[in-house]
Amino acid sequence: MRLKKLAIGVLTIVVLSVVLGTAFHFSLVKRFFCGEFRTSFVDVRQYPGIVFITRAEVEDLFRGGQAVVVDSRAHAEYAAGHIPGALSVPLDSPERALADLAAKYPAGQPLVVYCEGGDCQTSAALARLIHDRGFRDIKVYQGGWTDWTSAGLPVEAAQ
Amino acid sequence: MIRNRWVLLVFRFIVGGVFIWAGALKAADPLDFAQTIKNYQAFPHILIFVIAIVLPWVEVLSGAGLIAGVLKRSSAFIAAVLLAGFIALVGSAVVRGIDTACGCFGNLSSKADLSLMGMDAVLLFMALNVLLAGRPLKPPTTGRMTAP
Repeated sequence: MRLKKLAIGVLTIVVLSVVLGTAFHFSLVKRFFCGEFRTSFVDVRQYPGIVFITRAEVEDLFRGGQAVVVDSRAHAEYAAGHIPGALSVPLDSPERALADLAAKYPAGQPLVVYCEGGDCQTSAALARLIHDRGFRDIKVYQGGWTDWTSAGLPVEAAQ
Repeated sequence: MIRNRWVLLVFRFIVGGVFIWAGALKAADPLDFAQTIKNYQAFPHILIFVIAIVLPWVEVLSGAGLIAGVLKRSSAFIAAVLLAGFIALVGSAVVRGIDTACGCFGNLSSKADLSLMGMDAVLLFMALNVLLAGRPLKPPTTGRMTAP
């Protein structure tokens, strides 16, 4: 009897949560079932300047030399090794580096943001912060540092 | 197991308060929460979306239940299951070397590490005490008096 009461209570909370979650985020649920958010959970309506790219696309941009590469990892990880020419904008303390970035480059400057790898949160989170600073051409490299080094591409260590 | 009602009341308010706070922050930005869950690399994409939409409300409702004393044991059960799941998830991220924010408190989240597992373990202890406090006490064992 006590277990039955416990189970009914749990079921009530879960069902109410499904109803509330769907009601409060109905537009997101609708967009998900229409095919959005299938590669990332960055809202393209809120952040139209952010796109996710692969290693091949990063290599093209890297060789072309037009894009500025931004490393979102902690400073110690950046110091140990990073993509050649990458700027360090660590997500754990980004304010100063973000201000430098905004002062140095125009809003239309293409940027490639990466983190450790494996759809890591820090590059997407940093991309949002950069977007909030006015930049509108931000590419997030999903494979990140792990993917870059496993492909044997050039790396650079801080002096 | 703690049975003092005042201590249990404090436990309910602490766990309930943390759950309401954590759930409300996540419910405010479910896509950010979904991105955080994705970083754990433990769930399929569609399930991540469902979790991001529903889980914050499970936390808010169970937290409210604990504080208000409505569906108290069910709320404590959900809190305990979720906290055990969080500990396992953060543990697996630590073992796999995944460097990520825990996603516990939206943008205010700390790193998913051993100290976070410790905090979750303390909350789990409190939730389990609330859950098991309503159990009837074992009847005293009846010893037969024997004549000298």
